[in-house]
Amino acid sequence: MHELVEFAVEKALELGAKYAEARFEEHSGVSIFMKNGNPEGLGIRADRGIGVRVLVNGGMGFASTNVLTKESVSEAVKKAVKLAKATSKVRNRPIEFSEERFHEVYYEVRMKKDFRDYSGEEKMEYLKLIEEEVLNSGVNVPMRFLSYQDWIAHKYFVNNEGAKVESVIPRVSITYNLVVFEEGQVEQAPFVKTAFTGGLELIEKAEPWKKALNDVKALHRLIKEGKKPPEGKVDVVISPEVAGIAVHESVGHPYEADRIFGREAAQAGESFVKPEMLGQKIGSEVVTVIEDPTIPNSWGFYLYDDEGVKARPRYLIKDGIITEFLMNREYAYYLGTHSNASARAINYDREPIVRMANTYLAPGDYSFEELIEDVKLGVYMVSFNEWNIDDRRYQQRYIGREAYLIENGEIKHPVRRPILEITTKGLWSSVDAVGKEVEFYPGTCGKGEPGQGVPVWMGGASARLRDVVLRR
Amino acid sequence: MFDVNELILKKAKEIGFGDVVVLSYETQRRQVRFANNEITVAKNWHYQKSVIFAEYEKRLVSTELTALDEKIIEETLKMLFKTAKAMEPKKDYYGIAEGPFEYKDIPETFDKAIVELDEPNEYVEIAINSALEEGAKRVAGVLYTDYNKLYLTTSNNVEAFDEGTGIEISVRAFVDDVASGHGTNSVRVLKKFDPESAGRKAGEIAKLAVNPEEGEAGKYDVIFDPLAFANLLSYMSFMASAFAVEAGFSFLVGKLGQKIASEGIVLKDVGNMPNAYGTRKFDDEGVPTQETTIIENGVLKTYLLNTSLARKYNTKTTANAGLTMPRAWNIYLEAGDYSKEELFSEVKRGIYITNVWYTRFQNYVAGDFSTIPRDGTFLIENGEIVKPIRNIRVSDNFQRILESIVALGKELYHIHWWEVRTPVFTPYVLVKDVGITKATK
Repeated sequence: MHELVEFAVEKALELGAKYAEARFEEHSGVSIFMKNGNPEGLGIRADRGIGVRVLVNGGMGFASTNVLTKESVSEAVKKAVKLAKATSKVRNRPIEFSEERFHEVYYEVRMKKDFRDYSGEEKMEYLKLIEEEVLNSGVNVPMRFLSYQDWIAHKYFVNNEGAKVESVIPRVSITYNLVVFEEGQVEQAPFVKTAFTGGLELIEKAEPWKKALNDVKALHRLIKEGKKPPEGKVDVVISPEVAGIAVHESVGHPYEADRIFGREAAQAGESFVKPEMLGQKIGSEVVTVIEDPTIPNSWGFYLYDDEGVKARPRYLIKDGIITEFLMNREYAYYLGTHSNASARAINYDREPIVRMANTYLAPGDYSFEELIEDVKLGVYMVSFNEWNIDDRRYQQRYIGREAYLIENGEIKHPVRRPILEITTKGLWSSVDAVGKEVEFYPGTCGKGEPGQGVPVWMGGASARLRDVVLRR
Repeated sequence: MFDVNELILKKAKEIGFGDVVVLSYETQRRQVRFANNEITVAKNWHYQKSVIFAEYEKRLVSTELTALDEKIIEETLKMLFKTAKAMEPKKDYYGIAEGPFEYKDIPETFDKAIVELDEPNEYVEIAINSALEEGAKRVAGVLYTDYNKLYLTTSNNVEAFDEGTGIEISVRAFVDDVASGHGTNSVRVLKKFDPESAGRKAGEIAKLAVNPEEGEAGKYDVIFDPLAFANLLSYMSFMASAFAVEAGFSFLVGKLGQKIASEGIVLKDVGNMPNAYGTRKFDDEGVPTQETTIIENGVLKTYLLNTSLARKYNTKTTANAGLTMPRAWNIYLEAGDYSKEELFSEVKRGIYITNVWYTRFQNYVAGDFSTIPRDGTFLIENGEIVKPIRNIRVSDNFQRILESIVALGKELYHIHWWEVRTPVFTPYVLVKDVGITKATK
């Protein structure tokens, strides 16, 4: 396999490519589904292939194949080169890549409990634990969709500038959708995921079955005791989960350089952020947002990106100031700088594009009690269901799933579906205090065409928003 | 690839599996992406794979094989069988369809000219230039050509083959940062391909959208462009699946036989429609695809079913397998009798929404959702577009939207793009009293 990847790069150069990279990926793993107590089936994933990306005359071509013979790879290389040549004619300026230092490196994430050593039935036990907790909770949960997934991503990346990066990364996750019906009312916790890079020991430590129990109890309490949230200008304390979705949507995405330069315009959209906004104020000085692929066992983990560039933490906002964009080599070149290793591809058949990894609101110095204690009237938003944001990443909305009234510094009864609909600048300028404790939540970030759902963590500390308009 | 299918089937039966489905694909797909009036990348994919679904005493397992030699096939099947034997049965599994079936050729689903098309970049240039001619400054989008071969073999006497092609383009045009428009065109035969219309529409809307004012929250009569309404209907494609209903991902839970849309609304899934991007001759069990009426005169008639789910509910399959998850092929909202002009003349004060994205649900079972207009959005007064507006959000309930449809255009548009993954046929749609919200800070 190593020879085939290296052959692809050499072949591309022979055919006239100025730049060539090839990436072998093999994904193998297991998916298990359970619906309303019935095992829906077990899927085995065994998927591998090679993708080749080239620059010829300033045009970019990409081709992939899952037929791993020299002939087939050679055919893919020819296609990539031919496509690049043809596209170079429909370009105003040639594509160039920034200069980077490359490495020959191998790395892997080790598992204490290696999921390859466990049977489907043993993995199903985790889902049954959720079933048990939920069914014994005394709450009516008639719809339960549960899934377990694991896979190992084995990659080997080579380019003609000296990069040879091989990695083995295991990923494991559990996801549930739970629908609570009580008193003719329905509340729902959909697509709640627990996910890591690493082994089963991480799932066992995180105990998603306990989280599921908490979720159904909270939804049950919401139905029984939930009241309307306050309306109008109040304070809102957002949990790490809500802070996570907010930094992902309104900080991570608009700082992706390919959006800023319009490459995603027809699909995932553009950005309100412009290159000249580096150094400008976007939030209050307690707001710092970090993007870091290198967090051990994180869902968005990697040490080298899919262009072979070494990863590091990236400060998107530091003390309220825009400090860095997420960049691959193409956009680093346009900005006259170096890539910060944000190029990711979800599989061998996808081009690497600018992506997030683990985005979080950096901790401040408030305890949770301090965040709450001088709120006269407000809402504590613990989790969310509906959320969305416009395609320039400016006008967004988050609707609380589990949320509580805060009155005179105390957390009171649950409130139903408080709606925070706010602009990006409005949101981050309203933060006057950030908590000390950081937590992360996994997600699948969608972008690219064809779509590339990449694993990401979102999170951070709790934060207090002063005087924001809440709706119901 | 029938030889591979037969080998897999034979080996699977020898090992001891009961129901077995082998669905093999050979795919050639080409993509040209463009932005800022130039091509950003061109791609080519070549896939060959066999999807195996197998049952052993109501235990279900599946996998995709990409390496197709005998040894790997045998090892994989043994591993699947070992896994299946150790699992618990799915109590509500009732088998797959009994073949053989007869298949009819569906017109306009295969075109040799697309297979032989050497170089599609000229179509990209046509789309870019037509958008620029309408006044756009920047144009972005994507073009695909597709050539797929499907080989299906099942343990219930099905052997079926289908071959299809397609070409499509999605074009988004910008006059400036906040004035944009979008157009698409998706067809199965080359002579019907019209990239110019997609570019022209994107350019026209973008030009109309210049200098938008802030929109205001409230209740408005909304005309949804086909591109926008297709996005909403594409969620129906998932929510109408009996699987989604059972798993709690649908507002259609418990509503069979009930009125869920306004009088006269007819919504179908049509798997065998000529020149439609989702069309196939047969579903994943080999049942010939068909026309299934999901909503008839506003009443929910059926969920989308495979054989097992149909038997569970004492009815017949709707030929929408997906073996674990039935799915729609082409969602089809029947046209009404309004011309576009007549539709606009119905609106005293309302909004014309040309596109939406990011539709998300607060609660799938309740159907509460919001979605964000993108591209040109316009205030209508007395039947006329008076000005472009921006920064609004549609915040409403799915069933209420369906129940509040008051008029439908008489022309249908075929929509398939990044945001509408299951193809949708829809006219312009006028909905009364749609909830509109906006950010306040």
